[in-house]
Amino acid sequence: MMLRAAGQVFMALSAVMLALPIVVVSGAALNSGRSMFFPPREPTLARFAEFFLSEPVWVTALMNSVLVAFGSAALAVLIAWPVAYRLWLSDTRASRVLAGLGSMPFALPPIVFGVGLGFLWSFLGGLGEIWSGIVSHAALFLALPLVTISIGLQSIDRAHLDAAATMGATEGMTFRTVILPQTIPYTISGFFFALVLSFNEFIVMFFVSASSYSTVTLQIFNSLRNGYTPTMAVAAITFITVSVIVFSAVARWGDLPRLMGAEPSKS
Amino acid sequence: MSGAGMVEARIELPAGAVVAAPEKRRMPAKGAALWAVVVFLCVTPFLLVLTISFGQKIEGAGWEWAMTLENYQRVFVGASWPDEVTFLYLQKLYYSLYYAVIASVLAVLTAFPFTYLMTRLSRRAQARWLVFILASLSLSEVFIVMGWDVLLSNRSGLPMVFKATGLTDWLKAVGWFDILREWGLANPRNVKFKTSEFATILTMTYLVWPYAVILLYPPLSRLDHSMVEAARTMGAGPWKVMSTVILPSVRLPLVGAILLLFVFLLGTYVAVTVFAEPAKQTMAVSVYDAVRGNTLNAPFGAAQAMVLLATAAVFLSLGHVLSRRAEAGA
Amino acid sequence: MSGLFLRNIRKDFGTVRAVEGIDLAFAEGELTALLGPSGCGKTTLLRMIAGLEEPTGGTIMLGERDISRLPAHKRRFGMVFQNFALFPHLSVRENVAYSLVIAGVARGEAAAEADRLLDLVQLGSFGDRRIGELSGGQRQRVAIARALAQKPEVFLLDEPMSALDAKLREDMQVELRMLQQRLGITTIVVTHDQREAMTMADKIVVMSDGHVEQVGPPHEIYHQPKNAFVADFIGKANFFDGRVEGGQVRVGKTLLSVTPPAKFTNGSAVRIACRPEKPYLDSADAEGTRLQARITFVRDVGPVRDIHLETDIGPMVVEYALGETDRAFRLGDTTQVTLPPAALHVFPEPPEGAAA
Repeated sequence: MMLRAAGQVFMALSAVMLALPIVVVSGAALNSGRSMFFPPREPTLARFAEFFLSEPVWVTALMNSVLVAFGSAALAVLIAWPVAYRLWLSDTRASRVLAGLGSMPFALPPIVFGVGLGFLWSFLGGLGEIWSGIVSHAALFLALPLVTISIGLQSIDRAHLDAAATMGATEGMTFRTVILPQTIPYTISGFFFALVLSFNEFIVMFFVSASSYSTVTLQIFNSLRNGYTPTMAVAAITFITVSVIVFSAVARWGDLPRLMGAEPSKS
Repeated sequence: MSGAGMVEARIELPAGAVVAAPEKRRMPAKGAALWAVVVFLCVTPFLLVLTISFGQKIEGAGWEWAMTLENYQRVFVGASWPDEVTFLYLQKLYYSLYYAVIASVLAVLTAFPFTYLMTRLSRRAQARWLVFILASLSLSEVFIVMGWDVLLSNRSGLPMVFKATGLTDWLKAVGWFDILREWGLANPRNVKFKTSEFATILTMTYLVWPYAVILLYPPLSRLDHSMVEAARTMGAGPWKVMSTVILPSVRLPLVGAILLLFVFLLGTYVAVTVFAEPAKQTMAVSVYDAVRGNTLNAPFGAAQAMVLLATAAVFLSLGHVLSRRAEAGA
Repeated sequence: MSGLFLRNIRKDFGTVRAVEGIDLAFAEGELTALLGPSGCGKTTLLRMIAGLEEPTGGTIMLGERDISRLPAHKRRFGMVFQNFALFPHLSVRENVAYSLVIAGVARGEAAAEADRLLDLVQLGSFGDRRIGELSGGQRQRVAIARALAQKPEVFLLDEPMSALDAKLREDMQVELRMLQQRLGITTIVVTHDQREAMTMADKIVVMSDGHVEQVGPPHEIYHQPKNAFVADFIGKANFFDGRVEGGQVRVGKTLLSVTPPAKFTNGSAVRIACRPEKPYLDSADAEGTRLQARITFVRDVGPVRDIHLETDIGPMVVEYALGETDRAFRLGDTTQVTLPPAALHVFPEPPEGAAA
């Protein structure tokens, strides 16, 4: 059918459009000079070595990115769990408000949250410390594991809880032995979503780090005035690759369409 | 249910019966701790912005607590009111809204057919597309702007391609070049894309396009396809099916997506600073300038942030009302 | 209106053949049931007739016209879907009038016609209701009215009763049949319920594994099943495996007499089907092979008594209508069962893993 062919063409075009800047950036990373040319001039992999090994500013930035990302994702999951659990157990107005408050930083423009956090840490003395960066991102991305874990909890058959209770399990035991194992894929995907987004976030980081440390995206953001260099493009490729790997893993071992809101698979 | 867990439960039954009661009493305390953490982390920053917006700037980079409305006054009518009225900051708010509205509508309109087509594919194909979409979604704004900067760069990007392929000359011959000049998309010698509304909106649309797909995915994948088939058996061709069956079913999610993305785009910073003309910058940019940038007036920055926040909150609550209505109607 | 003809219709999904070359004729004004277990290809066949699936090969003719390549929205066969597929954003009347509005009929006229159809399905006052307010049975009627609004040449129904309660199902089967006869419209119903097919259809097409097993009116399908699959799928049957011996069949040590005599060569493995209401218990007059039997289970199911027996040729169920006999059958009793030769249908033994 002609319409079907047109549809396929449209999807392909959209994919190309979506990939275009990414391709450009990836290609530019191969430049040997200091400028971003596309197609790359005198392509070389030297920039990759610089990014990962030799240039201290980038190596430290990468370490900070990793630290903040993993730390904040873990913390976000830890806080999101009780909030999602209460919401699922007893769908009261209070628990819904709690979930709403926890999602607020993600729903509102991050620049405002960043400004507010900057103020908060300057009063509490955490401004410019890595730990406050971790906590800030955890608060910002709380909504993500909150949503994925809620989806996971919805898939739990409440009859399982009753069955466990009739066999003598307390609420804590039921949680550990029935609920937690069944929701592992959702916990993990919530963790990964927060992880990937944290890697790429810079606005909140900017206000919270107050120039005393930088992550990779922050470093690039700071260099905006001076223009881009191919080494930055290496960062872009790295992050995209990490994202693809992470999400492919989620798709491989979990039900990605379901996670993103489709109905449970019929097969 | 793990077997080991079940054995545990049976052995601990006597103790379990006693533990149950204190555990219930412990719950309210745990609840309070949770509330404290969430409120502290997620609410106090916004409250701080609010209180500081009433503060006063002092010499140098500092500021002090106060209870003045001069920051808000400056945002709405200018600092020298009533002698002089300037809408400079309201204009910035205007551009925030302007770019955000066009970009969000464009993104949703183009993502809609894409997402619909995607939901018609097999589950495995959908997963693959979703990986692609999610990966590009998580790409930082800095990288996206970097990419488009290179693409649209006047010396080495698309304008150069236009010149090299003779497209520029053709445009001049056909007469469309002058139209482009009027739109700010060309210099006397060649087309230019950087620092134009076009580039700004293009980049912003690109930025939220994957989000639009993600937001439209649940309603479109849950669409009852037998409705589409029923319409076909009743004589509806493809366009009629789209307009009489599909669009009415997802009207509310579409509007909701536009609202959410609009709110998100209000805070765009990098794309605006790189691609927008200096005279057409947004409020987000001036918040940055005030708090950490050139102007260093934290209370003023906070006031602007609050105005931005209030605008966002209005549209978010609109979206909330709409989604409630959708749930009631379905 | 004219008849619908399928010639050598095939459908492949990748490497899976869902429908083998099928030839079928649907006479004008008849209700035909496509009957079979899930996965037999009946729904695929219906969807090809509707134009929702494209056949991999073969032709579909409506009278003289070849409609094989015609898209669904040009065929305009009215169709009722399994889940009814009513539009939640339109009222009941708007749903029913949909095909007319699409065709360009004026709103007022379309609404009037919709109301007329709603009267026909006894939902005359429901025009302004929302779909969400309707019960399952009401939704089905709206779906039927909606499909008929465009005055289709063929009326298609895909498992129309499966979304209804059991009690409602039986009532609706009769009602739908009466409506169809009143309108005289060529109708095809897909179902997996053999009782539904028997109740509603002029003609039944029994399908399995993508091909047609037997086509015929209900009583022919029931009393003259062509093979073991049909015998098992329609109604209930007792099955015995044995070998042909001079026109009769030897099952274990017993030689069963069969009318007409088995046409297979001596020694062929065959399967015998016998409907449970045919054998006689404890009857001196009845003709046929007589076996000793012990009663293992008795059960009254409404108007019928089921008697389970253990015999030399294996277990058997015999059905008696209550009031047909005044004999009392009790658990553990021994009795004699007579198998009338004409009641034994002989088929070649199906391959391993086949039905029955």
